[in-house]
Amino acid sequence: MEQAALTFSKVSAGYKSRKVLDEVSFSIREGELVSLIGPNGCGKSTLLKTAAALIRPTLGRIELFGHDVQKLRPRQRASLLGVVPQKIESPMAFSVTEIVANGRISSMGRFGTLSVKDHDLIERAMIYTDVSGLRNRLFNELSGGEQQRVALAMVLAQDPRIIMLDESIAHLDINHRQEVLQILLNLNREKKITILLVSHDLTLSAGISDRFLLMDAGRLVKAGTPAEVLDPKLLSSVYNCDLQVKPDPYSGTLQVTGALDNLRRQRKLGQTVHVIAGGGSGLELYRHLLIEGYEVTTGVLNRLDSDAESARALNIPSVLEQPFSPIGKEAVAEARKMIERADAVVISSVPFGSGNIVNLELASEALSNGKRVLFAAGIEQRDYSRERLVSGFADTLAREGAVAWSTIQELMTDLMPLHQSPL
Amino acid sequence: MNEKGQLCAENRFAAAPPQGACRKAALFIALIPLLLFCSLLFGPSGIGLPDIQTPLGRAIFSLRLNRLMMGAMTGAALSSSGVIFQALLRNPLAEPYVLGVSGGAGLGATLCILLSSGIFVTLGLPVVAFFSAVLTLMLVYTIAGQGSSGQPSVYSLILSGVIVSSVSSSIIMFLVSTASIEGMHSVIWWMLGSLQPVPAGQQILSATMIIGAIACSWLLAPRLNALALGREMAHYQGLRADRVLAMGLLLGTLLAATSVALSGMIGFVGLIVPHVMRALFGPDHRKLLPLAAIGGGTFLVLCDAIARTIFAPVEIPVGVVTALAGGPFFLIILQRRMKQAWVS
Repeated sequence: MEQAALTFSKVSAGYKSRKVLDEVSFSIREGELVSLIGPNGCGKSTLLKTAAALIRPTLGRIELFGHDVQKLRPRQRASLLGVVPQKIESPMAFSVTEIVANGRISSMGRFGTLSVKDHDLIERAMIYTDVSGLRNRLFNELSGGEQQRVALAMVLAQDPRIIMLDESIAHLDINHRQEVLQILLNLNREKKITILLVSHDLTLSAGISDRFLLMDAGRLVKAGTPAEVLDPKLLSSVYNCDLQVKPDPYSGTLQVTGALDNLRRQRKLGQTVHVIAGGGSGLELYRHLLIEGYEVTTGVLNRLDSDAESARALNIPSVLEQPFSPIGKEAVAEARKMIERADAVVISSVPFGSGNIVNLELASEALSNGKRVLFAAGIEQRDYSRERLVSGFADTLAREGAVAWSTIQELMTDLMPLHQSPL
Repeated sequence: MNEKGQLCAENRFAAAPPQGACRKAALFIALIPLLLFCSLLFGPSGIGLPDIQTPLGRAIFSLRLNRLMMGAMTGAALSSSGVIFQALLRNPLAEPYVLGVSGGAGLGATLCILLSSGIFVTLGLPVVAFFSAVLTLMLVYTIAGQGSSGQPSVYSLILSGVIVSSVSSSIIMFLVSTASIEGMHSVIWWMLGSLQPVPAGQQILSATMIIGAIACSWLLAPRLNALALGREMAHYQGLRADRVLAMGLLLGTLLAATSVALSGMIGFVGLIVPHVMRALFGPDHRKLLPLAAIGGGTFLVLCDAIARTIFAPVEIPVGVVTALAGGPFFLIILQRRMKQAWVS
């Protein structure tokens, strides 16, 4: 019989002024190994703390093997659930055995005495995590990997049925990480201990997890098998960067890689993108385009516009006009030359009025000259010109094959096909 | 593992490092009666055991015995209170004075000395000191808890403790400066810290409170061990961490307040003795608490023997001796063995 080990039903939780978890619902079956993933600050740690009754949920109900977590006695809770934190720190010089023995604290007698069963559990936990040899060493003198194994031994000594690890292996080097993971896998496979692993290493998790929970901004975005959750589109939008997923040719496990590979960057080098922006709408575009390896030009901008300032700071060649003045002929001519040298034109979500509408004219000119033009969707809502001229331009752009984008992620993918010329 | 290792304690997990701690602790405890006896040999009337056949000798002997009791009680209370505060706050600088507890007790005691007289001072002093210390603790706790959600952090506790402590010492100074000459004299004498025997009633009351509080905190010792890894980890391991913290703070306060009421403000003992004991015998609070109590008591008794002898017939405040004589001695021990006590 497979029972639910941990169930969240519409749980909201947070701190005084900030809601961190927003109606999170999921269920983990007993014996599963589940990875909880998501970008920094999405609420993973808060979720663990709420599950361990350290934070009281404002709404919803959490069940641990069928018991309401809030109503469990601390001792009972500790016998069901163990938490391995990111790092444990002992300010005083306790020995390894003294640290591990803390795992039995809730079942100690009044005078701190341990029963034979307690002793056996501690001994077994130390053997299992291979820290028996360290028993008389001082905890603080151990290496990071050894400390983490001791922490795991301490939690194992609790004899819990579910163990939650809060990025506990993230800072270990690769051999210690493999070692701790192997211990976890053994516990899961042999002792049927349920494991919830908060992880930043998606590839690593993909290799060992039965299931993934993907969180973003306090919500559970997706729960499912690694193949279901590790969808490049989904991941890229949650992590807000370009990610690729491909199966490992030998083991078949999924591998998630970022877009750091040099080849792609190489191919983009020499490609120039001209950005039409203003009022701060350009900064994110500049940043992403530069990171991706494009050459960037921009204009026409008014001096003192925050985008003009950022462009100067980033060494982006730009065409500038006097502050608070409509764009003049000279500037237009200069910008036209700049666009001629560019491979694509990107229009940001800047509002257009009679002062800067000439930028749109330049863009449609470029389009008819065969350049790619990508514009932020919804131009017509930012139309501040008389006679709604801007909307007219938007229609023309769309008709003649310009591409609308709504997120930067989308823009980057749209920009790419142009450059994926054969090697 | 050899046989001796197994015999050392039936609890394999408590007796490990530092090496040979069992033997050292036994040696230490065996030394105590000797040291205490030595302290009886010293006094302004001369060095050596007084002749108890004569009434004068009997009086001197009983006076020295009384001083010994006072010193043992005060030292034990201060030093175990230091152990408790250092464990709860996970901070090597923590001691009764840091949380403002002693300052609060001192303020209460000062008011008591200045405003009342006679029998009320002798019996009321410990009670007033304790309640003003608890009030101070609650004040510190409330101030520290402001702004954070739920429980105050250790740092805000220490910070607000230091502030409250200096405020209460300013108030004491103000009271002293506006008091009558006699009042001023008795408060200042009391503040300097002295082990002048208090009436038997107060001694018995204080002894009961101190022994009770040390016994209660010894019951907390395993939980103090777990709390050393932080409140969060203790919670995960099934402790009601906040309850342990509150209990511990209360017991530490009771001990500090009782010692302040008994013998005024004696510094150094509550900070250094716990460190030295931890360096010698390891941080396990089940051993550390009783050993620190014994060590603190003995240390203060010896210091008092020096204080009343060295410039006889003039007696110097015992607080001077604790710092001057104890300081260098403890520094040497700590320098060698700090690693075994706290993380450097």
